[in-house]
Amino acid sequence: MDIILEGKKLNKSFKTGEKKTQVLCDVDFFLKEGEVLGIVGESGSGKSTLLRVASGLEKPDSGELLYKGRDYTGSSPRQTGEFLQILFQDAESSFDPRMTMERSIMEAGRGKKDKEELLKLVKMAGLDEELLKRKPGKLSGGQCQRMAIVRAFYSGAEILLCDEMTSALDVSTQAQVMQIMQRLKKEGKLSAVFVSHDIALVSEICDRIMVMKDGRCVEEGETPEVIGSPKDDHTKELIESARKQSIG
Amino acid sequence: MKKKKLKAKIIILSVLALLLLLMTCFAGLVAKNDPNATSAAAIRTAPCADYPFGTDNLGRCVFSRVLYGGRTTITATFFLVAVSFAAGTLIGMICGYHGGIIDGILMRIADIMLAFPQMVVAIAVAGILGGGMKGAMIALGITMWVSFARLARSHTFSLKKEAFIKAALIAGKGDIYIIIVHILPNLLAPVLTNALTQIGTTMIGLSGLSFLGLGVVPPTAEWGSMISEGRAYIQIAPWAVLYPALATLITIIIFNCLGDAVMDYREA
Repeated sequence: MDIILEGKKLNKSFKTGEKKTQVLCDVDFFLKEGEVLGIVGESGSGKSTLLRVASGLEKPDSGELLYKGRDYTGSSPRQTGEFLQILFQDAESSFDPRMTMERSIMEAGRGKKDKEELLKLVKMAGLDEELLKRKPGKLSGGQCQRMAIVRAFYSGAEILLCDEMTSALDVSTQAQVMQIMQRLKKEGKLSAVFVSHDIALVSEICDRIMVMKDGRCVEEGETPEVIGSPKDDHTKELIESARKQSIG
Repeated sequence: MKKKKLKAKIIILSVLALLLLLMTCFAGLVAKNDPNATSAAAIRTAPCADYPFGTDNLGRCVFSRVLYGGRTTITATFFLVAVSFAAGTLIGMICGYHGGIIDGILMRIADIMLAFPQMVVAIAVAGILGGGMKGAMIALGITMWVSFARLARSHTFSLKKEAFIKAALIAGKGDIYIIIVHILPNLLAPVLTNALTQIGTTMIGLSGLSFLGLGVVPPTAEWGSMISEGRAYIQIAPWAVLYPALATLITIIIFNCLGDAVMDYREA
């Protein structure tokens, strides 16, 4: 499999008054075509910032971003949107509250107006086409997240960047969304970076896992390898706390 | 329940406001006397069947002048609020969306405007421009856009951080498209509510300038100038001041209450 997305030596810091906080320190990552990469870590570990940097929503202080070997460092979200889409934690807020779902999804098509394809995708996501006429406030969190998946595929983006996309959902809705992701993965339609604090959830869908702590990658490898025999203490802690949670 | 009550209040106030507007728009049909026709035989006549609100010092029908004056005051107020709303909202959206140097310059200008009481600036500007409704409107408009701009700016600033704006950016949409299609419709409700509450303030401002002789030029009927003219003989013909003052008061109360009710409804 060819590498579709790559980040090399990425650094990012934020300045609050006099204080400078380093959020990413020399982070490297890569994503192969048809692969799902999981990025896990506690809050503040830099995983969401990494996603924002990769999407062009934030510019890295230094480092290189490559799409199919082509440098796109410093590109605006308008440019990166040609090959990637973001699935936000709060899917409802990613849709204009005054627009119908259909209009919002069509907007992501960059001029494309293919109702047939849209209906096919809505069906694939297990949603009723009637929901397309509704505004986001009239949909549940799970329905909104599935609509966001529909939008991402309708846009024709090759890469999905999922930022804690199931965190705001209840357990059963989370399972429904994950089922769709699993199905898309099986069909080979999914090249995604899946950011979450929940290592158990990440291990369900991801081929590889990258563990982050304090803006650095502390461990990276194939999912069975990272989950089965973690090398870093932080990874061990994350796995242990996930285990305790599932028992509790 | 509270929302239902507020909705009923908004409907009642809107009907009253509409009635007021219709009465002034169709003043020619309601008032049978010419508002500018003088009559030496009817000077300072008390309210009667021919002159429901009496007559003024020149024998002009106060009822007709109140209705025609309302047309002047209300038209000027609506025009001024609409222009300030459009200009202020546009400036606010540009400042909030782009930030940087444009925002810095425009907001400092707004701060300067806010540093002086609106009426003081208006009197000074109207004095420089000379009398006339046009001058009075420019004088008030100079400071009026600021409240719209600040409100639109703060809403744009928070809307800009919303995920749906980021989604629009990723969809390749341009800044103008995002401002018009995504930001404007989402901030319209609070800015329009502000416009409703500004109607009363603007009316007071315009009438105030006319009262001081910086507004309409006689013999044009306007509530502020009518009060100003009538106060000279208030003890012998109080109706010449009472009715235009009442008309101003009622109109301001209706629009202020409507603005407040809409604001409460949105927050409920």
